[in-house]
Parts: sequence; C-alpha cells; structure tokens
Amino acid sequence: MIISSICFLLWSAPDTIVGVMVEASGGALKLCIELGAVYAVWLGILELVDASGLGQKLAHLLHPIRKKLFKVKDPEVEQMIALNLSANMLGLGNASTPMGIKAMQALDDGSGVASTAMIMLLIINATSIQLLPSTVIGLRASAGSTSPADIILPTILATTITTSLGIILVKFCSKLWKRKNSGKKGATGSQIEVKK
Amino acid sequence: MSAYILPVLFLLLFLYCHHKKVNTYDTFVKGAKKSIPLIVDIFPYIASIMIAVALLRASGVTDLLAKVFSPIFHALGIPTELIELVLLRPFTGAGSYGLLESVFLQYGPDSYISRCASVILGCSETIFYVATVYFSQTKVKKLLYAIPVALICATVGSIFACLICKVM
Repeated sequence: MIISSICFLLWSAPDTIVGVMVEASGGALKLCIELGAVYAVWLGILELVDASGLGQKLAHLLHPIRKKLFKVKDPEVEQMIALNLSANMLGLGNASTPMGIKAMQALDDGSGVASTAMIMLLIINATSIQLLPSTVIGLRASAGSTSPADIILPTILATTITTSLGIILVKFCSKLWKRKNSGKKGATGSQIEVKK
Repeated sequence: MSAYILPVLFLLLFLYCHHKKVNTYDTFVKGAKKSIPLIVDIFPYIASIMIAVALLRASGVTDLLAKVFSPIFHALGIPTELIELVLLRPFTGAGSYGLLESVFLQYGPDSYISRCASVILGCSETIFYVATVYFSQTKVKKLLYAIPVALICATVGSIFACLICKVM
C-alpha cells in the first residue's frame, strides 16, 4: 500500500513526499501528547479502582455470566479472564492484553485447534465490551467538544449489540462445527471440541 | 444525561477510596505515571500509520478506495467520510485513534460524523492484532470461525453505531 502510493506520488508530485511524511509524523507526535494526557487521567483513576478493591468486586459481580460463557472450572484461569474483561470494560484495551494472553495460554489444550472457550474470549475482546469508552472521551475533550461524554450511551448500546451478536454467533458456529466434525469422524471421534 | 455519568462516577470513586482509607493522591500519581512509558511505546506505531495514511491520501489512493467502497457504505448507512476509519480499524488501534483525531479536526468533534466515528471506535477492536497477540503464546494454528465472526460483528457494530447516532 505504502509502496504503491509512493509510486503514485513519484509520478504525480514527487516534491511533496517528504513534506507530507514529516507533517504526518508531527501530527502523530501531537496526538501522542494528547493521548498521554488522556491516559494520565484514566490510568490514575484505574489505579484508584484497583487499590480500593472495586476492581475485584466488579470481577466478582460478573462471575455467573463468565461461568455460563466459558465453562471454565479452574479458578485461576477464571481470574485472568475476569481481569481481562474488566480492563476492557473500562476502555483500556492496552491494559487488558497481558491478561488475555495468559488466559489464552491457560485455555490451550495443545491440540492446535482453538477451543470454543478460546474463541469466545477472542470474540468478546474483539467486540470490545466497553462500558466506558475512556480514550475516545478523552480525545473528544481535547479536541474541544462541548459534551465529550455524550457518546457513552450510544457506545454502550452499540457494544451490547455487537457483543451479544458475537456470543450468539460463537454458540451457533460451535454447534455447527461440532455436528460437522462428528459427522466426519463418527460419534466417538469428536475429541477436538472438548468444551462445548 | 450522559454528561453527569462521569462526574458522578468519579465522585463516588473518591468517596469510596476515602471510606476504604486508600491514599488517594499517591495512588492516582502512581497510575498517572504509567502514561508516559505507554505513549513512548505507541508513538512509533501511530507515527508510521499516520505517515502511511497521509501518503495514501496525498497520492489519491484513498479517493480511489472511497469510490470503490462508497456504494457499499452508502447501502449500509455508514457515512462515506468514515471509509478509511472503518477499513483500518481491524488492523491498527493506534492508527485508528490517529484517524479519529483527523476526523475531529476536519468535521468538529460534535458533528454527526465525529460522533459516529467515536461510537464505531468504542464498539470495535483491532481484530487482527488481538487475534495475533492473544494466540501468539499458544499452539493453536486453526482459529476456525473466529475471524469471520469478529468481522461480521464489527460490520454490524458500525452500521448500528451510525443508526444510533442518528437517533440519539
């Protein structure tokens, strides 16, 4: 993509390339400074949530839902999933990644094929159950919005729709996959899909 | 209504911390300190994506893309101004914040377009990045239906985001 656009520019306006690139990286620097301000606020808040024990309470509250979705019995794995999901809910995707990786490792059964629980975790992450789109709110505020927080409700609505759709699709596909698989290998051979 | 959510939540949090005898100031400082290493980490990614996008724009490739995709986006009810954002979102988180910023600058943060962009970003994730990183430490080679499902959800999310912004 980049190469093709440079080729394009070489042909149309070769003297603008460096100017465009430097200008863009200047924009990136400005954005990073703004993001730094946004993160300072939210990471400070998150630290407070953690230190006051609210984070754990939130995780505990969601225990029944997690149990239904992942069917994980190991409490340690569940704790990792819980931490991953609660960081996601607060809109801090960067903070949730390490936990997600650990949870995935723990869920791995070594068969080389993703289990339904793993796919479920991925999909819930990919549809980003964000209750507080903190970074976006911060960027809106620094761009001079008169009401930076007025996207909270629409975001919660949209994210609820996508996450529920994701969960339904995963459930549906896992059933479909299981049927296809057992049809191929016979009733006894469907070892791949251990967790339904 | 939305405007009250954050201030009230913050107030409750501070009161709760006081109740739990947490040292509010020191704890906040400890968290805020993490923001500088974080932006140092993400700056190179944001810069390279923004440079790439600037080149694409200057060369007119985006106009071409916009022409190809605009009937589809039009049919789905997503503003055609957001084509780049929607197409890049599954690949790069930092880059899509860069695009969000440029949408804010171009259309003003309170415009319909910017609100749509905000909600789209809020209800989606960098699917390919997350999938790569999350599975990087496992032996899994086959993701089965994971990526298609994620992409379907992202598309539906973008459509609903624009619909919701029209109503609310």
